[in-house]
Parts: sequence; structure tokens; C-alpha cells
Amino acid sequence: MISILCLTRIKDKSVIKFEHVGFRYGVGPEVLTDINFRLEPGSFHFLTGPSGAGKTSLMNLMYLGQRPTRGLVTMFGQMINDLEREKLAPLRQRIGVVYQDFRLLDHLSAFDNVALPLRISGQSEKDVKANVNELLDWVGLGDYKRALPLTLSGGQQQRVAIARAVIAKPRLLLADEPTGNLDDEIGMRLMNLFDQLNRMGTTIVIATHNKKIMNEMNHPKMILDAGRLHIENPASMVKEKIEGVF
Amino acid sequence: MRVILRILTWFLRPKDKKLGVAPDGGQRYDLPLNKGSGTGFLIMLVALMTFLAAMALTMSFVMGEITHRWAAGLENRMTIEIPAEDSEGKILDKAALREKAAKVTALLDKQKEFIASYNMMSEEEIAALLTPWLGENLVLQDIPLPALIAVDIKPKIKDLDAQITALQENLAAIAPDIRIDTHEDWLGELVRFTASLRFGALMVTLLIGVTMVAAVAGGINSRIAIHRKEVELLHLMGARDNYINRQFQRHALILCLQGSLIGLCGAFVIMGLIALVSGGGNTLLPDMSLSTSQIGILLALPAFSALVGAVTARYTVLRALSKMP
Repeated sequence: MISILCLTRIKDKSVIKFEHVGFRYGVGPEVLTDINFRLEPGSFHFLTGPSGAGKTSLMNLMYLGQRPTRGLVTMFGQMINDLEREKLAPLRQRIGVVYQDFRLLDHLSAFDNVALPLRISGQSEKDVKANVNELLDWVGLGDYKRALPLTLSGGQQQRVAIARAVIAKPRLLLADEPTGNLDDEIGMRLMNLFDQLNRMGTTIVIATHNKKIMNEMNHPKMILDAGRLHIENPASMVKEKIEGVF
Repeated sequence: MRVILRILTWFLRPKDKKLGVAPDGGQRYDLPLNKGSGTGFLIMLVALMTFLAAMALTMSFVMGEITHRWAAGLENRMTIEIPAEDSEGKILDKAALREKAAKVTALLDKQKEFIASYNMMSEEEIAALLTPWLGENLVLQDIPLPALIAVDIKPKIKDLDAQITALQENLAAIAPDIRIDTHEDWLGELVRFTASLRFGALMVTLLIGVTMVAAVAGGINSRIAIHRKEVELLHLMGARDNYINRQFQRHALILCLQGSLIGLCGAFVIMGLIALVSGGGNTLLPDMSLSTSQIGILLALPAFSALVGAVTARYTVLRALSKMP
């Protein structure tokens, strides 16, 4: 049944759907167990939980860095379990990721780092130039376009990483501790940027431990604990197991 | 001198005018492939291999030229030798030898259907042939010399072997120890010898090609390992395999082109020196001058090397990328 489903392109409006997903590294123990959730277009979720709960592994599955060891994952209406490698590339282009360690290319300028997603998707240099300059100005790095990442402060590097994640107007934005190196003011400013993107239809998942931001923004929380996922509804603040949602 | 200084200045010009600032002029690579010590090493390796390949190919060409020259000199020729002694081992006097030779030439005169001309070699000509072995101070009177008749055979004669066999039988009637030397044995040995040398040279060229493929594959694999994080990042950002592959392919193509051009220039310099030392060819060795097509083959080496490098890089990178999810 599962294999038949895998071969079928499923019409589904959800951006991500995880069904009974489990994940393990090699032959080790399962780090994610029976994960079930779906993210609707334009939704905004925080992903939180104690260290070692599996947040990074879950993010990894969501940005298609790994395939699940069991269960079904559907992204943008396509079952990805058995999808050919080459067909994953256009799906990845619809996802913007802000990594905790930024993952900037040290030999490229801030401009070229931010331009990467546009160049990968084959946009013209004219469009690349216009879009990147505008976004770098917006995040306050207009004067650092030709600066190499290693000469930028942690906060500036983070803004470059965020600009790179949002430049191609992704349908799904995943951010791992995006405000970790920023002061509260710049942190809130960037969260507002995420909020604006969300209002424009981008689905957003932010992994964070920052309770202040989570409380101020009042979005649902995906709480991971020992490899299992619960969703906390901000309105009722009642913990609800997602199992049985489908 | 001024030109050399300008070229040196261009090569040594500062690449980054300001510390910490990326150079202007457009980004050519997402991956920093052109940086690092491995680049120079790979260029040097390709240069050496191209140098060796060019020398091996030139050796093969020269061997071919030697075979051609020697074979052309002996083709359609044979020598009839009338020994200076009879079948019992008794030395013949010159009058008896001349008498035998006259009978032979009379027989040759009747063989016009396949013999174009013949030349009864004089004592001086025979002495000239012996000079390399016996020296110039040869006293001909003391040594019994055979009579030699150089015969030119008409080209494209059918049943030549049968004609020569018949001639041999007729000569045996004059004297059983008269020999016909068609040079076939010696020429065959020579052709086999030079052919084996040419084969060896071509095998060396092939081996160099295989070594180059292995070297480029190793170099690209080490580049992938060094830049694994960057490659993974591009992959996760949605870069297709070809997008990443093109960068490695172009990098390998440029390196191989640079290396092989250097190697070919070095080979041409050495060939020029060999030609200079050998004095432009002598009776045994041909000069180092190559035909237009042979020069064309040598000049095509850098393009071929670049192509091999690019194709090797392509398969190496695609293989490495196929292991990513």
C-alpha cells in the first residue's frame, strides 16, 4: 500500500505532511519516532524542545537533507520517499533555510552568498543584482556587499544567512535558532520580517529556545521531546497529540 | 625584456586590493576550487604527463620514419652474391670469378620481364661497403672479395617469388653456391623491431593517458572532500548535479589545458635540442622534422588532455553527488 502511494503524486494542499515518520542514523536508535503533522500554506510554527530531542534531525528531514527511514513524507504535494534525486532539486529550491551555524561560503562576498539561490534557480544577473542589493539594504548590510563573511560580526553573518534564505521567496522557510546571535531589537526586527513573509503566504517553521519571542508572536509550537512530537495550541494552551489528526 | 616584465607584473598583480573584500568582476565559481596548493601540483602533473606523452608519440613517429626510410631503400631490390671460393672451399682467382659473373649477367639479361636493371659492383664499391667494419686502410689485394650484383626489380610484378625461385635454380646451374639476397629477412627483422618500439611508445602514451585520468580523478575527489560542506550546501539549496558538476568540470578543463600547454612547450624545446644535437639527421637516424599531420597530433594534445580532464571530472563528481540524498 505504501509503495503504491509513493509512486502516486498526491494532490494535497499542505506544504509538508509527515505520516508515522521515523528516522535513525545508520543502525543506531530511532531519534524521531512516529512523527505526524501537516503544515498548511501560510502557517507559522515554532519548533522547540530540549537539546537532543531531535529538532535538528526533524529540520533535516524538512529541508530534504535526509530521507525518512520509515513513514511517509509529502512536500508540496509530492511523496518524497522514493522520488528520484534530480526531482528533489526543484523542491529544495522552494525551501529557504537559516542554519544555526549560518553555513556561509567564506570565499564569497555577502552579495554573492545572498545571490546563490537566485543563481542556482537560473535567474538573470540583472534580476540577481537588483534583488540582492535591495534585500541587503533592507537588512542593513548595504555597505557590506563586497565584505567576506569572516570580516563580518556574528549578527551581520546571521543577517546574510537570513537574506540568503528569503531572497528566492521560498514557499517554506526553516530557521534554526535565527535570533541566537542577535540582540533583542534586531531579533524582533527579523522576526517581523518572517512575519511579513508569512503574511505573503510563506510557511514558516522556526526552531528556537527563545520563550520571549515565542510568547510575543503567539504561534503554535511544535514540541519535540525524546523524538516524539506534540503541538501546543497558543489559544487554548492545551497540549494536544497530533496522532489521529488525519 | 620589457614584454617579459609586463607579463610578470600581470601575473603577480594583487588579486584582492583590500583585505577581507571579495574581488570585483563577477563570480566565476561558487566553490573555491582555484585556491589551494593542490591546483599547482595537478598542473605540474599534467604538464609532466603531456611532456612524456608528446615525447613517446614523437618517438613513435620517428620509428615509423626509420622503418619507412630503410624499407624504401631496399624495396624492389635484391643482391646476387657470387662467393670468392668454390663449393670445395678453394679460393677463386679473379679471372674465374669474372667468368662466373659474366654467366650470371648473361642470365640476368634474359630475365627482362621482372628485372629492371642491374649493376655489377666494382671492387671500390664493395670496399666502400666494407669500410665501416674493416676500416679505410683496407688492402683489397689481400682479401678475396665476392662479386656482387645489385639488381633492381620492376615494381608490381605478379608471382615475383616464383620468378626469383626460377632465377635461383638457373643460377645454381652456373654455380650451386651463388646466393640471392632479397633483404626480406633483414628487413622483416627491422620492421618487427621498429614496430615493437612503436607499439611500446603507443602503450606508454596510453599508460600516460590512464595515469592522467587517475590523477585528475584523485585531484577532483580530494577537492570534493575539501569542499564537501560547500558542495552539500549547494545541493541542499536545490542546485542540480549539473550545476555543481559544471564548476568542477570547468576547473579540471582549465587546469589540464594549462598543464598540457606547459608540457607541450617543454617537449618542443627538448625535441628542438635533440634535433640540434643530432645534427639534422644522418645515414642511420632520420632528422626530428615531423610531418604536418604529426605536428597536428602533437598540437591536439592539450585539447585532448583538457577533454579527458573535463570528462574525468564530470564522472567523478556525478558519482560523488549520487551518494548525496
